[in-house]
Amino acid sequence: MSASTFDPYASVVATSPRQFLYALNPLAKVAAVAPAMLTLIFVRDLATPAVFLALALLTLMVGARMTARTVGLLCGALPLGILAVGIGFSLWVDAELVADTPAVVQLGDWTLREGALVIGFATALRLGAIVALALIGGLTTTGPDLVRAGVQQLRVPYRVGYTALAAFRFVPRFGHELSVIRAAHRVRGHHGGSGPFARVARAWGYIVPLLAGAIRHAERVALAMDSRAFGAHPTRTERHLVPFRVRDTVFIVVGIAASAAILVLLHPWQL
Amino acid sequence: MASSPLLTTRVLLVCAAIGVATGILGGFAGLLTPGVIVLTPYLYGLVLGSHVLPGIIAQEVLRRPLVALVSHLIAAVISSAFNPAWSLRFIGTALLFGAIQEGVAALTRYRAWGAWRFFVSAAVIGVLVAVVVFFAVDLGAFPLWVQISYLVISVLGPIAWTAVGLGVGTSLSRAGVARR
Amino acid sequence: MRPSAPLLRVRDLSITHADAVHPSPGDVSFDIRPGEVVLLLGPSGSGKSTLTLALNGLIPHAVPAAMTGSVEVGGLDTADTLTAALSTRVAMVFQDPDAQIVTGTVYDEVAFGPENLRLPLDEVHARTDDALRRVGLWERRGENPDRLSGGGRQRLAIACALAMGSPLIVLDEPTANLDPQGIDDVYAALTDVIAAGDRAILLVEHNLDAAMGFVTRTIVLDRAGRVAFDGPAAEVIRDHADDLLAMGVWLPAATLAAMRMRDAGVGIDELPLTPEELAAALAAATPPGPSAGRVASADDRRPASARPEPLIRARGLTVRRHRTEILHGIDLDVEPGTLTAVVGANGAGKTTLLQSLAGVVPPPRRQVAVDGVDPGTASPRELSNRIGFVFQNPEHQFIAHTVFDELAHGLRLRRTSDAEIAARVGSMLDRFGLEGKADVHPFLLSGGEKRRLSVGTALITRPRMLALDEPTFGQDRARAAELLALLHDLRDEGTTILIVTHDLQLVAEHASHTVILAEGRVHAAGRTADLFRDEAIFTTAGLRLPPLQRMLAATGWSLA
Ligand SMILES: Nc1ncnc2c1ncn2[C@@H]1O[C@H](COP(=O)(O)OP(=O)(O)OP(=O)(O)O)[C@@H](O)[C@H]1O
Ligand SMILES: Nc1ncnc2c1ncn2[C@@H]1O[C@H](COP(=O)(O)OP(=O)(O)OP(=O)(O)O)[C@@H](O)[C@H]1O
Ligand SMILES: [Mg+2]
Ligand SMILES: [Mg+2]
Repeated sequence: MSASTFDPYASVVATSPRQFLYALNPLAKVAAVAPAMLTLIFVRDLATPAVFLALALLTLMVGARMTARTVGLLCGALPLGILAVGIGFSLWVDAELVADTPAVVQLGDWTLREGALVIGFATALRLGAIVALALIGGLTTTGPDLVRAGVQQLRVPYRVGYTALAAFRFVPRFGHELSVIRAAHRVRGHHGGSGPFARVARAWGYIVPLLAGAIRHAERVALAMDSRAFGAHPTRTERHLVPFRVRDTVFIVVGIAASAAILVLLHPWQL
Repeated sequence: MASSPLLTTRVLLVCAAIGVATGILGGFAGLLTPGVIVLTPYLYGLVLGSHVLPGIIAQEVLRRPLVALVSHLIAAVISSAFNPAWSLRFIGTALLFGAIQEGVAALTRYRAWGAWRFFVSAAVIGVLVAVVVFFAVDLGAFPLWVQISYLVISVLGPIAWTAVGLGVGTSLSRAGVARR
Repeated sequence: MRPSAPLLRVRDLSITHADAVHPSPGDVSFDIRPGEVVLLLGPSGSGKSTLTLALNGLIPHAVPAAMTGSVEVGGLDTADTLTAALSTRVAMVFQDPDAQIVTGTVYDEVAFGPENLRLPLDEVHARTDDALRRVGLWERRGENPDRLSGGGRQRLAIACALAMGSPLIVLDEPTANLDPQGIDDVYAALTDVIAAGDRAILLVEHNLDAAMGFVTRTIVLDRAGRVAFDGPAAEVIRDHADDLLAMGVWLPAATLAAMRMRDAGVGIDELPLTPEELAAALAAATPPGPSAGRVASADDRRPASARPEPLIRARGLTVRRHRTEILHGIDLDVEPGTLTAVVGANGAGKTTLLQSLAGVVPPPRRQVAVDGVDPGTASPRELSNRIGFVFQNPEHQFIAHTVFDELAHGLRLRRTSDAEIAARVGSMLDRFGLEGKADVHPFLLSGGEKRRLSVGTALITRPRMLALDEPTFGQDRARAAELLALLHDLRDEGTTILIVTHDLQLVAEHASHTVILAEGRVHAAGRTADLFRDEAIFTTAGLRLPPLQRMLAATGWSLA
């Protein structure tokens, strides 16, 4: 997490017409995948999450800009994560539950059974699919646009929305402040030990100066915003519109229909 | 026109500051999440419990309606910008934790601010988290001792973090920050 | 509104902060009319900032404070009109540019106010375009405000104030954080704003040299927050210079210099306010006696021959942060017993250099030696035995919950006995005027007390060297002078002092040696008196000699 390279305002735009995700309303991207994500929590098989994962990746490949970072995330970190979680979870599975499945690995008197692998990877794929679905919106929406859509379509009070926008500016500032505080405490010799407890004790020392500085800064920003008529009227002129168009409705309908179709076809519940 | 709104700009921005600062500290905890899920899934409740912090600190510092919810939402929006993969989880926990903390405070009509009130919210949150995560990581397939320790830790996690949040709030008032 | 009606009418205004005993300001009355540029002066704590907050209703609506008397802006009483509604009549510019920015681009930022007013889109665009052009930021409208310099961001804040369309603009120390270029930018923008004559400005400012050329009137608050003087700026300062000095208010550098020369026996009749006036006054002055005139700088009296071993030695110091090289091969020696100032434009690398020398951020190995140890490898404890570091914001370095523990911290780490801790902390408390505060939380001290405490914590382990990053930033003359007196005392006791500052006037008057940085390299280094004789050394580093120094250099006078 590097605060200095973080620019939440940098706009994300499509570089070719096929990258349709950028032109959609942020809420549409959430609404289209949310039912699938919620349902996924309760499925137990391998096929359903695998299909959702593939579908989400396909949507991203087509609809989003493939930068080095995105490719690394989708084709590197995500599969690796699934592999790690899959193996990790298979080790935890209760051996008696899967005692009647064939052994895959045998080390001394410890066996890894196929049933355990199935359960482990079902969980891993499920989490992977949920993450991939979230990335459809996450990689193609800026924080400010999400906030604006919240204000314009969900009727979140604009004062709350703009508070969130102002909060994006706090991130690099507080990040820098934290690094100065850490350096300052180090110089003071507040450096006792390197174990986890010493580390926690040290972090505790950063919290009050960090929060005290943060709250004072926030109070000053509030005065500046009040001075510029923030909250004068129940609404304000919006120059940046984040419209909700027919294509957004279409995207939601297609998304939900596809999710329903997959669930009906694969019927993943062990009833 | 001469009446001031329920949440003044100052209160809103102090919530934002608390959300961002806990978000930065929580960002380090967020980096731990994948490792915890892989190595010690039953400890996940301890990590997830850290998400109670924005609301606790906001309520302890400001003692007003809605501040917990707003702080949670802002923390979630900020964390999502860093880590889009978890964005729905962030916003979901924010709404859930915020609603519970607000709900418990509302039941006492925003008058009782004793420590017990914060721990009640923490216990409610712990139980809810335990149930949802139980399904998400298929705990039913794990040995009984893992299931039990998981459930206990899920409830204890938010309670422990609530104690931390209260400690921070007390230190801040001692330092004279954000007098109510 | 009748054309002659005042834009602002303040009557018997007293404001008492939530936990304060006395009101500050107290019983203040004045009017401001279109076309006036009013400078508000007063010692720290006299209530200048508090007064500005009352002018657009932030007091009593947003800040908890008790207010008596009345403030009327364009016919509206602030007590029963919300700040948002008053914003079209009074616009504010605050000290910290970062604390005024809300959105992600320069254009959005200026449009933020008009949008809040629910103006139609065309009007929003018209006002935004006009404001941006007037402060010269039109070309940069699409950028993130973070990329602007400090001066640029403060000009942006002025554009935001202009876009509100208010006839009165109130600025509270708008240039306190800026380098000389930034200050010039801000005043250029302001001069432009008042040229039309339909607006008025109320300005709180410590840096009088920049403001003097453009204010028409001065209101001075005394320590108790009452109006001490109110009148044309030149008249008030000339007639009451001694009173102002006694109050602890900053004066123009030329005025201060002339007062000192007068004390030294130079015959100056009318106190000058600008360097030009001082030059004229000196030309007409009675020729100085042999001892009083060209007063030698304190350090010229020391023999220059015996060059002691340097206390700090840097060779080829190269520092990177996030893969960008910030310092490129710095060679530097700091002799013991000096007060060395590091100066340079914003971003030249001053803070980075100071932190590397002191080991706050460890430098690469074997490039720096401080009193025989390498900060690149030494432990924090070894380092803090040798160097005390004072951060710009004292709160960042406070660790303990009471002033006593704060001072005792460094000693406890060294396992000093309790008796000795009590003795040393006690004498430190006395020395810094903190006797009554031993059990107070450090965060609850006043700004000046926090600064003294942070110096005390750095000194408690008796290091040979003290490093300070912009210690006089945002302090009034009395507090800055108090700190400088303290530094001189320490130096007399043998402590070597290294200080980063933007204030070249301070450097000229107090530093024995100066290091000028430009773009991560040592541009020049040497005795302050020598460097200040050549203006070109400063201009080529993006700095500007203070007008007074320029004049003195030109006429061959110098100051003690
Ligand atoms: N938020 C606050 N709560 C309580 N007291 C305050 C607050 N702000 C200022 N004060 C007190 O009110 C008095 C006036 O402070 P103010 O900041 O207006 O002074 P100032 O003239 O602007 O000083 P400076 O030159 O240092 O900016 C001081 O005694 C200060 O300690
Ligand atoms: N942690 C960092 N990461 C990246 N760049 C940095 C970092 N710290 C400083 N810089 C850059 O290094 C340069 C020098 O910074 P430094 O803070 O030393 O300058 P300075 O002379 O102290 O400036 P100022 O007068 O504004 O305090 C600047 O361009 C700054 O943006
Ligand atoms: Mg002030
Ligand atoms: Mg600096």
